[in-house]
Amino acid sequence: MSKSWTTKLATAALAAALSTGLGGVAIAPAAAQTEVSFYYPIAVGGPVTKIIDQMAADFEKENPGLKVKPIYSGSYQDTITKVLTALKGGDAPQLSVILAVDIFTLIDEDAIVAIDDIVKTDEDRAWLKSFYPGFMENSQTGGKTWGVPFQRSTPVLYWNKELFKEAGLDPEKPPRNWAEQIEFAKKLTKRDASGNTTQWGIQIPSSGFPYWLFQGFTTQNGLRIMNTAGTQTYFDDPRVIEALQYWIDLSSVHKVHPPGITEWGTTPRDFMERKIAMMWQTTGNLTNVRNNAKFPFGVGMLPANKTPGAPTGGGNFYVFKKSTPAQQEASLKFMKWVTQPARAAQWSIDTGYVAVTPAAWETDVMKKYVAEFPAALVARDQLQHAVAELSTHDNQRVTKVFNDGLQAALTGAKPAEQAMKDAQREADRILRPYRR
Amino acid sequence: MSALARPSIIGDALETAGAWLLALVWALPILYAFWTAFHPGEFATRFSLLAPWTLENFANAWNAAPFARYFLNTVVLVTMILAGQLVLCTLAAYAFARFTFVGHNVAFALVLVQLMIMPDVLIVENYRTMRLLGVLDTTLAMALPYMASAFGIFLLRQTFKTVPRELDEAARVEGCGPLQTLWKVYVPLAKPVYIAFGLVSVSYHWNNFLWPLIVTNSVSTRPLTVGLAVFSGSDQGIDWSIITAATFLSVAPLLVAFLLFQRQFVQSFMQAGIK
Repeated sequence: MSKSWTTKLATAALAAALSTGLGGVAIAPAAAQTEVSFYYPIAVGGPVTKIIDQMAADFEKENPGLKVKPIYSGSYQDTITKVLTALKGGDAPQLSVILAVDIFTLIDEDAIVAIDDIVKTDEDRAWLKSFYPGFMENSQTGGKTWGVPFQRSTPVLYWNKELFKEAGLDPEKPPRNWAEQIEFAKKLTKRDASGNTTQWGIQIPSSGFPYWLFQGFTTQNGLRIMNTAGTQTYFDDPRVIEALQYWIDLSSVHKVHPPGITEWGTTPRDFMERKIAMMWQTTGNLTNVRNNAKFPFGVGMLPANKTPGAPTGGGNFYVFKKSTPAQQEASLKFMKWVTQPARAAQWSIDTGYVAVTPAAWETDVMKKYVAEFPAALVARDQLQHAVAELSTHDNQRVTKVFNDGLQAALTGAKPAEQAMKDAQREADRILRPYRR
Repeated sequence: MSALARPSIIGDALETAGAWLLALVWALPILYAFWTAFHPGEFATRFSLLAPWTLENFANAWNAAPFARYFLNTVVLVTMILAGQLVLCTLAAYAFARFTFVGHNVAFALVLVQLMIMPDVLIVENYRTMRLLGVLDTTLAMALPYMASAFGIFLLRQTFKTVPRELDEAARVEGCGPLQTLWKVYVPLAKPVYIAFGLVSVSYHWNNFLWPLIVTNSVSTRPLTVGLAVFSGSDQGIDWSIITAATFLSVAPLLVAFLLFQRQFVQSFMQAGIK
């Protein structure tokens, strides 16, 4: 009884919504005003909202008739929840920054359009080719480009030059390979008289999303952890197990790394308070460490094993299907405007994210910055060894399975081999439907 | 005699020690937040009696987001929900407690079913409804799904059922209509339950995050919790000083209110039997 009442109400409301919706479309071209709502995850500190607001305002000034409305949508996790909810509720943003690895989820939900389908001119196509290939790996699948790199990062090694000097190491030379990493860390670990560690040699955080830094190890061990179609993972490959064992041994055998799970968010603070001498951290932290560390520090590529290597990370622009051609054009214009060299360079300087095009590094403002702060170059130079971040169909679940396996091994709940075999079996089960 | 008394002394001592221990464990996060919020960043994870005190973290947090606006939004939201809940739940509970109508058992069962469902499961469906009503990105959209609280209806119905029939009948003999009886007899008798329910509702909605985040887009409607999310980016390392200061700013009104009305609250909870 009550059901039929609500249905009637809903139908009436739907009719109203539809009529205003149609009216809106009919009026829009006449008013020549195109508005794009833009979901933006605040994955970095507070001030970034001001930069984004400023960008939107500047863009509107230069492009009369176009409006970009930034909507701050919490963490990456909250943003994808908000986007998918809005989408299923029949309403979605026209443009959003979401994790690069959510590409398959968004394609499977039929939420986004391929960027190739909205570019029109040769200039547009040239722009699409202007990004670092390392960043495009996570933006392309099945021969199409679905995302445009924007706030991208990669992990690097930070070291405390003061503590290097104290330990009798050359403060300008970071460890270059796995063996040196252990050897240096041993010299940098200090214990007091009762055997408690007062300073750890190295810290590679493992809370939240351990797979990301771990992908550094596996890449260095010569393996890509999934295929480009996003349907197959290689968690139980011997090279993965060997890499995991190396990470575990840092604390269990060599005692140079804090035991158990180490917290991602507090690792930079531990570094700044000299509790750890070296850390693996995202380039997104460069500005933070630079402003707050009270000692000289170095930034270098992650130590190599078979090869140097690191994953990329961070967020891409996506354009949503539920938008008019005019809105898609406006979104394209905004993406091009934001990623033009000078602006990409300034964005990189303000936030610590890696500038996404080679041209951005050639701008005067970037050259000046790099001259003052050469550490910023490391991320760029590491890009040639960088691979795509773990990304598959049903990405959230597959990643969780992998994370759980890694943490089980790191806490000693399961031996490395067992943990990785279990994770692979579970991933196979989740991915089977996508293999057809 | 003394042999009998001794175990009870030991028992008392153990109980007291246990209570203190639990209280301490419960209070630790707040104490830590207090410490961090009032000291400069470098003392966030170091304890020293000589650490200088500062209000700078509060100033930074206040300036990093339009807190005054968020406060206003939260207060409006919480008031709107509570007002809606009190009216709807009182009327519904009265109907379920004292009237028999066609299908009242089925209707009550439906209300109970709603108690079993996590609100998060309904997010997509609720979003769709809000869109159809055309109220997305308004305070109303945040409040509407929570107004007909199954918990409130159930709680008040049980309370109204304990009111003696004689009082009801006496009121009618004096010439009260059904609504007047409700207002003059039932509502005053259920006052402790209203206070307890109000507190639970206010603190829940003051802290609610996911639904407000999803259904609102602009500074002019978003509540404190969503505004606070600006500080929680772990990508760049966490600045505990600012986070704890901002957290204090946002829970301060609740804390103060609780401390002021503590005695009344505790009494209400004891009488209402909610924990």
